[in-house]
Amino acid sequence: MTRVYGLSRDLDLWGDLMELGKKETQSQQNTENNPTGLKILWSELRRDKLALFSLILLIVIVVFVYGISFVMNQDEIAKVDLFSIHKPPSKEFILGTDYGGRDVFGQLIIGTRNSLSIGFLVTFLSGVIGVAFGLVAGYFGGHIDNILMRVLDFFQVLPFIMLVIVFVSIVPNYTIIAFSLIFTAFSWMGVARLIRSKALQEKELDYVQASKTLGTSHFKIIFREVMPNISSLIIVTMTLNLASNIGLESGLSFLGFGFPESTPSLGTLLSYATNPQTLEHRWWIWFPAAVMILVLMLAVRNVGEALRRATDARQRRG
Amino acid sequence: MAILEVKDLKIYFPIKAGLLNRTVDHIKAVDGVSFQIEQGKTYGLVGESGSGKSTIGRGIIGLEKITSGKVYFNGVDITSKNGKEIRKNLQMIFQDPYSSLNPRKRILDIIAEPLRNFERLTKKEEIKRIEELLELVGLSKESMMKYPHQFSGGQRQRIGIARAIALKPKLIIADEPVSALDVSVQAQVLNFMQDIQKELGLTYLFISHDLGIVKHFCDEISIMYKGRYVEQGTKEEIFNHPQHIYTKRLLSAIPDMNPSNRDKQFRIRKKVQQEFDQRYHDYFDSEGLAYSLKPISETHLVALQEDVQKVR
Amino acid sequence: MWKFIVRRLVITFPQLILLSVLIFLLAQAMPGDALTGLVDPNIDPATIDEQREKLGLNKPWYEKYIEWVGGVFQGDLGQSFRYKIPVTDLIEERIVNTFWLSVATLIFTYMIAVPLGMISGRYNDTILDSSITGYTYIGFATPLFIFALVMLWIFGYHLQWFPTGGSVAPELKPGTLEYVLSRIQHLLLPALSIALIQTVSTVQYLRSEIVDTKQKDFIITARAKGASESRVYNRHILRNSLLPIAAFFGYEITTLITGTIFIEQIFSFPGMGQLFIESVLQRDFSVVNAVVLLFGAAAIVGALLSDIILSIVDPRIRIK
Repeated sequence: MTRVYGLSRDLDLWGDLMELGKKETQSQQNTENNPTGLKILWSELRRDKLALFSLILLIVIVVFVYGISFVMNQDEIAKVDLFSIHKPPSKEFILGTDYGGRDVFGQLIIGTRNSLSIGFLVTFLSGVIGVAFGLVAGYFGGHIDNILMRVLDFFQVLPFIMLVIVFVSIVPNYTIIAFSLIFTAFSWMGVARLIRSKALQEKELDYVQASKTLGTSHFKIIFREVMPNISSLIIVTMTLNLASNIGLESGLSFLGFGFPESTPSLGTLLSYATNPQTLEHRWWIWFPAAVMILVLMLAVRNVGEALRRATDARQRRG
Repeated sequence: MAILEVKDLKIYFPIKAGLLNRTVDHIKAVDGVSFQIEQGKTYGLVGESGSGKSTIGRGIIGLEKITSGKVYFNGVDITSKNGKEIRKNLQMIFQDPYSSLNPRKRILDIIAEPLRNFERLTKKEEIKRIEELLELVGLSKESMMKYPHQFSGGQRQRIGIARAIALKPKLIIADEPVSALDVSVQAQVLNFMQDIQKELGLTYLFISHDLGIVKHFCDEISIMYKGRYVEQGTKEEIFNHPQHIYTKRLLSAIPDMNPSNRDKQFRIRKKVQQEFDQRYHDYFDSEGLAYSLKPISETHLVALQEDVQKVR
Repeated sequence: MWKFIVRRLVITFPQLILLSVLIFLLAQAMPGDALTGLVDPNIDPATIDEQREKLGLNKPWYEKYIEWVGGVFQGDLGQSFRYKIPVTDLIEERIVNTFWLSVATLIFTYMIAVPLGMISGRYNDTILDSSITGYTYIGFATPLFIFALVMLWIFGYHLQWFPTGGSVAPELKPGTLEYVLSRIQHLLLPALSIALIQTVSTVQYLRSEIVDTKQKDFIITARAKGASESRVYNRHILRNSLLPIAAFFGYEITTLITGTIFIEQIFSFPGMGQLFIESVLQRDFSVVNAVVLLFGAAAIVGALLSDIILSIVDPRIRIK
């Protein structure tokens, strides 16, 4: 297939260049509905200085955190050292030590890595459920949509944090996987609602009708025809969700219902601040984690907002 | 035998209201329509927008739920179930070539969609078939790797036609296939549709609001108004001996290319309008709907009141 | 409109029933039952079994569910395993604290949102507007618990402007003026912390609403008639934009619930949120269930109220 393409290029290079130019102008007017949607997202991101900076910062943090935690001796960090409890920052411990004499900087790195990993995982899982749910509801419409939306309404009105906490506390053999699943079970609704309203519009278009008359199955139409056409919306929603999921996870860990004790997250470091002594006098334990969460959330949000502007032609800056 | 036979087709859309979202009334989009199409012919379905002509086409192919009535394809009842064999033989060309092609797919994948659903072809065979199809609709085989937005409206519609004929169907429902195109391109696409009709022995159900095109294109014509037929007949009967006042009015609205006839045209239009106003109640019932069809010749049917039939 | 309200009510009841079933099933999955909190561990198991049979604890789940729901309607939420007192007694004192915290929070939320939203909308695209928009942007991205920790750290510990925990100074007697003042003082910092974060969505809504409204024909007409600029804003625009915002308080309940759980934990404020966390940690599940049920019902009813008020104020909502 690529061979054919290459051939056409050689034969008709000038024509191709013309096409390319046309593609550019057309894509300016219409983002959602052409194959260069992802390119538009990227070019919009490049124009937005703040978002570009945020993206670079994020990449640096991710590479740094995963890189370091890979070479770092994790047992060393988790080891309790009673002779160096609550040491303020020094040359030996850049960010001091905690109540067990453990290096806070090391915990910050591991915590950031864990928070990011769980953020990605949960965003992905809830994205998969939300996209599938929304697509099915929107595509079929009618009674199916009605029933699914009532289910969604119910989930959305439930107090998310409380139920996660209750489930976390009664699950036997509590692990990170269990936590992710519980978290996912109560966080897919936003995506589903957005995707559903988009799918409702999309299914009215003739290409969907055409696929039906061509004998394509509903399953294939939903996931092979409709889904690629709303991919930029999916990417935007997932990005914005990543930000809020990082925040929610750290909040739950802060309350003590997030990660198991053995795997520290950014929220775990912050939870030391519930001890008034730590909050008042040992800022180095919790403040860096607070800053890290804030930076991560703002940066991811900046990227997400820029992407959202890119999908909405009216708000585009370029 | 007729390739397609439609008997007393009714398609109603419910109007929902009230506390429990119950159906309180119906919009009668198609209200008791019967016709048949002979193999190899082109059957024109004409009406203003909202008359239900597109709904008939969509109902036959299974995009709308049929409320009552029967649809036979080659003598087989296809009203509710659309078997694989029927899907293959019954295809559709859509009105808007901009939205009927998935913008995220290459032309190759668009045209291959029906082939992949019904035929097990190897990659090589598939490419060969698509090359043939593209050649048939007059596009270069390099088009295969491009995306829909790289083509003009007329080219896109030809891609849509290539997709519709990929399975070598017997009947094609063409739902206003040219009305979204520039006038200059319309003739080109229509001529092309006629060419492939001869070549492949196709039968068309041609849905249009444009009497000029229908005159050029169709063998048999029916005129629709508010979900019902008002007149049905051969091209000659409809254009030369229109019987129903609504048909007459539609015909008088066709513009004449010759400017010297302008006065004459104007007088005819005036006369038809007068007749329409005076005799409205002879042709339409108290709800403003057409009566049921009465035959006035072997092929010519007109919606008339029982007693008015003799008045003329 | 009545149709909308009735239909909305029809949706609410299944939600409440589903919530109760969910909590009941959770309760079944939790370790311990009504007896766990009552019996002396030294009694032999056969007697306990007898007792269980007598109390109806071995009945099928749906019978137990119906009994439980009947009890809830009579105000019987069961016994606390840990404190051996009825859950209602335990909740009673906490719920008052949380109620006042919520009221204070809502007052602050609107006190911040209305002027900021108005300024931002009226003078849009000025420096003032960009700084307010910047605040809402950051506020959106900041998790409440981090913000509250920083507030407590700065204003509670460093500047010592506010007390750092509790709901009232311990030595004071109820009924005195000092007691009331002390309670208010204890409320301020927690309420402000939630309000400053929670308010940003309202500010944004009000801003865009005003920016939209001020280009509408009736506003231009009012100006053309010679109405002064402040009259245009106070009489015409505000009336149109403020009512929907007032109706949001029902939706805010869900946010508030989340907020109180974090805030009460951080400020050691003895309310429902703290009771919830304590009970989970102590595995006092009858209390946990009661709190979830109350908060869940509050969220459902809150959303219902907001929907109804909004449908009266803003006919556009009804269409969906």
